[in-house]
Amino acid sequence: MPDPAVPPRPESSAGQATGDAAVLVENLERTYKGGLKAVDGVNLIVEPGEIYGFLGPNGAGKSTTVRILTTLLRPTGGRALVAGYDVVRQAPEVRRNIGVALQEAALDPLMTGRELLQLQGALHGLRREEARERAAELLERVDLVEAGDRRLQTYSGGMTRRLDLAMALVHRPAVLFLDEPTTGLDPVSRNALWREVRSLNDDGTTVFLTTQYLEEAEQLADRVGIIDRGHIVAEGTPDELKRLVGNPALMVKLIDPAQHDEACRVLAPHGEVSDRSGGGLNVRTPLGARAIAPIVRSLDEARVEVDAVELEEVSLDDVFLAVTGHPAESDEDVRDAQP
Amino acid sequence: MTDVVLEHRAVTQWRVTLALAGRALRIQLRRVQFLLPSFVLPLLLLVVIASGTSAAQELPGFPVQSSYVGFVVSGTIIQGALLVGLMAGIAVADEIEGGFFDRLLSAPINRASIVAGRVLGTMGIGVFQAVLFLLVALAFGADFTGGLPGALAVVALAAICAGAAAALGASIALKTGSLSLLQNLFPIVFVLLFTAPAFLPHDYLNPALQAISDYNPLTYVVEGMRGALFDSPGLGSVPLGFLSAAALLVAMFALAVWAMRARVKT
Amino acid sequence: MSTREMSTRNTRGLAYAGGVGYAMWQRSLLELARVKGGLLPTTIAPIIFLLGITGQFGDLSSLPGFPTDSYINWIIPLSCLQGAGFAGGATGANLARDIERGWFDRLLSSPAPRPLLLLGPVMAAVTRSLVPTTVILAVGLLLGPGLTGGIYGLVMLYLAAVAFSVVASFWGITLALRARTQQVGPAIQNGVFIAVFLSTAYTPLVLLQGWLGTFAEYNPVTYVLQMARQATVSGIEPSWANTWPGLLALAGMILLFGLLALRQLRRIDL
Repeated sequence: MPDPAVPPRPESSAGQATGDAAVLVENLERTYKGGLKAVDGVNLIVEPGEIYGFLGPNGAGKSTTVRILTTLLRPTGGRALVAGYDVVRQAPEVRRNIGVALQEAALDPLMTGRELLQLQGALHGLRREEARERAAELLERVDLVEAGDRRLQTYSGGMTRRLDLAMALVHRPAVLFLDEPTTGLDPVSRNALWREVRSLNDDGTTVFLTTQYLEEAEQLADRVGIIDRGHIVAEGTPDELKRLVGNPALMVKLIDPAQHDEACRVLAPHGEVSDRSGGGLNVRTPLGARAIAPIVRSLDEARVEVDAVELEEVSLDDVFLAVTGHPAESDEDVRDAQP
Repeated sequence: MTDVVLEHRAVTQWRVTLALAGRALRIQLRRVQFLLPSFVLPLLLLVVIASGTSAAQELPGFPVQSSYVGFVVSGTIIQGALLVGLMAGIAVADEIEGGFFDRLLSAPINRASIVAGRVLGTMGIGVFQAVLFLLVALAFGADFTGGLPGALAVVALAAICAGAAAALGASIALKTGSLSLLQNLFPIVFVLLFTAPAFLPHDYLNPALQAISDYNPLTYVVEGMRGALFDSPGLGSVPLGFLSAAALLVAMFALAVWAMRARVKT
Repeated sequence: MSTREMSTRNTRGLAYAGGVGYAMWQRSLLELARVKGGLLPTTIAPIIFLLGITGQFGDLSSLPGFPTDSYINWIIPLSCLQGAGFAGGATGANLARDIERGWFDRLLSSPAPRPLLLLGPVMAAVTRSLVPTTVILAVGLLLGPGLTGGIYGLVMLYLAAVAFSVVASFWGITLALRARTQQVGPAIQNGVFIAVFLSTAYTPLVLLQGWLGTFAEYNPVTYVLQMARQATVSGIEPSWANTWPGLLALAGMILLFGLLALRQLRRIDL
């Protein structure tokens, strides 16, 4: 079924009554005893049919926000509407319209995949026959037919996440919440999950996704909100955010370090030249990849020998640094979080 | 040259053992909520049994006591020692499951020291517990005619028992590595207790239990404690109690060291 | 089916509640069947106490004031109650595990009215409590003089045990919802143990002295024990007079702990 056309995004994110928004969050706050403000004034709107990516490092407030939106936690300030219903005052209606797959795949290890799906069906008001059919349908959809009658204990990490996703879909929710769906997964499982999320979105499901990986946000999200220390510090399409870092950088790796100064002279007209830690040079230019050819030609003419000229990958750390002035996390965290 | 080296090694080992003992003691005291059951439960039993079944004193032939509490407290102390021993085993299992144990193993210390440290630490807790229970009994009207020497003997016996229980607990933990198994062993403590004259004299137990209790080393420890507390060999032989307790400690410690070696090999 | 249609499934009414209840009960049965030796601890400990306490204090029943000559018959209902109580407490401990693991979040974010979610542990308690009660009764009847209260006594014993397991379950649920960690298990079971202990557990009221006697007089479990003891204690005859205090005590405790559990449930998202 084709989607109704996505309504144009309102100018400001706060204060406008967009009754059709899938998710509307206004000045949301969550303060814990002792004064810790996990969520400190979050404003956002997610349109129906969108995939919204909530991006930020550990401890930024992503999971807390999601827990509030999925009625598992009460906010201490502000308000939030999901599928048009207030998460505090109309919680049961919200629950009827959302699917939830949280960080710790919340599944009972003693039950089989099929049994869990049927239980979920019962919780959502499906009659036993319907629940059985739906379970079979979903097992096929997430490719767990053979494992469907085995206990969860025997499932691998990827299989568990897929079942978790299937559980969230039993009642065909309008809005799907995914909290770090691919953290800890191998690349194959990760890609499989991304495909599934895109397919769901094509069918019309709105997806609210949290992640630590800029790559995941890029792959899936229509729009991304970057959250740091409890509030949104930047919002836009993945491309827009990357451009916040400044002009794209080209890395130039020299073969002979003695040619350093000569290279600088040659590269200067092409853009902003700076040294890279660990050797080589960076050239920043709005032309991005299109500047590669002219740069190579210039270097060649000056007989400066280079190992490589490539476009640098922009990481979340870069965006973060650019937007907040501090790195997303320490080097150790980044290493651990790397896909 | 070798003598010096050996002596040095012995000294270091001892120091390491003490350090581990101190650590075991400190950590157990910190997790008060887990230690509480091993103190509260025996005390509760003591108090309830003393009040509830003190009618037992009216049974014909019951040894004359100023207070039933004084009689029962030995059983209570043994119970407490067994429970802290179980807790020590649980702590070791927790360390194994949590990985800290591997860190201990990779340190240049004698394997036996690791076990010895845990046992020694638990003996410290046993001392504290025995003193506490004796004071509670006094508060409830017990009259220990054996005086201070008697009380000290009891505390010593309690410490040795706690050490033996800890060694047994550690053995099980080392052999199985399973925390939940140890938690499920809680009823076994009561089996050991009930098959000894913990709450009534030997002759009042039903015949089946009487027979079993003759083979239970704890029987002689409990009776020895009573003999000491009331300075009355008729209630129990103190030397026999010490012998029994010491034998238990040595046996359990050997078991623990064996279990430790078995674990390290796999 | 479009997204809209499915989202407005019927999640109200008796049929829905029945469906949820049945599904949760099935899950609890699966748990029972699939955990190896799951019921062993709750059954073995009371049997040990049955045999041990009888072995130690058996002679007490010869004292005047005891409504029976058989100490084991005096203790059987106590052990049944203990076993049923531990079974109920265990369902609370399992809930704590579910909460810690995140499974409960899944249930909380479903449209099921939250009080309905407590049906799981409570029904599990009712089912589970039957096992230790039956096993202990069987052991006790084999070793002792046997049933003295006929069918009426037997029914009262089972009723007391099962209802008490519900009380213990609500107690466990309350602690679980508050602590949200598996480590609360021992605390739950200790509570059950103490409640049963500070009563006419080992001695009848007339023989209890001092503070314990006063405490036992006000402890509702004393009256539940009285109700249960109609089964095996010859001196406590099956009659309404011996039954209604126990029923009242059980109703009161179920109400009290049920309300506490519901209150704690309401605070789970604060």
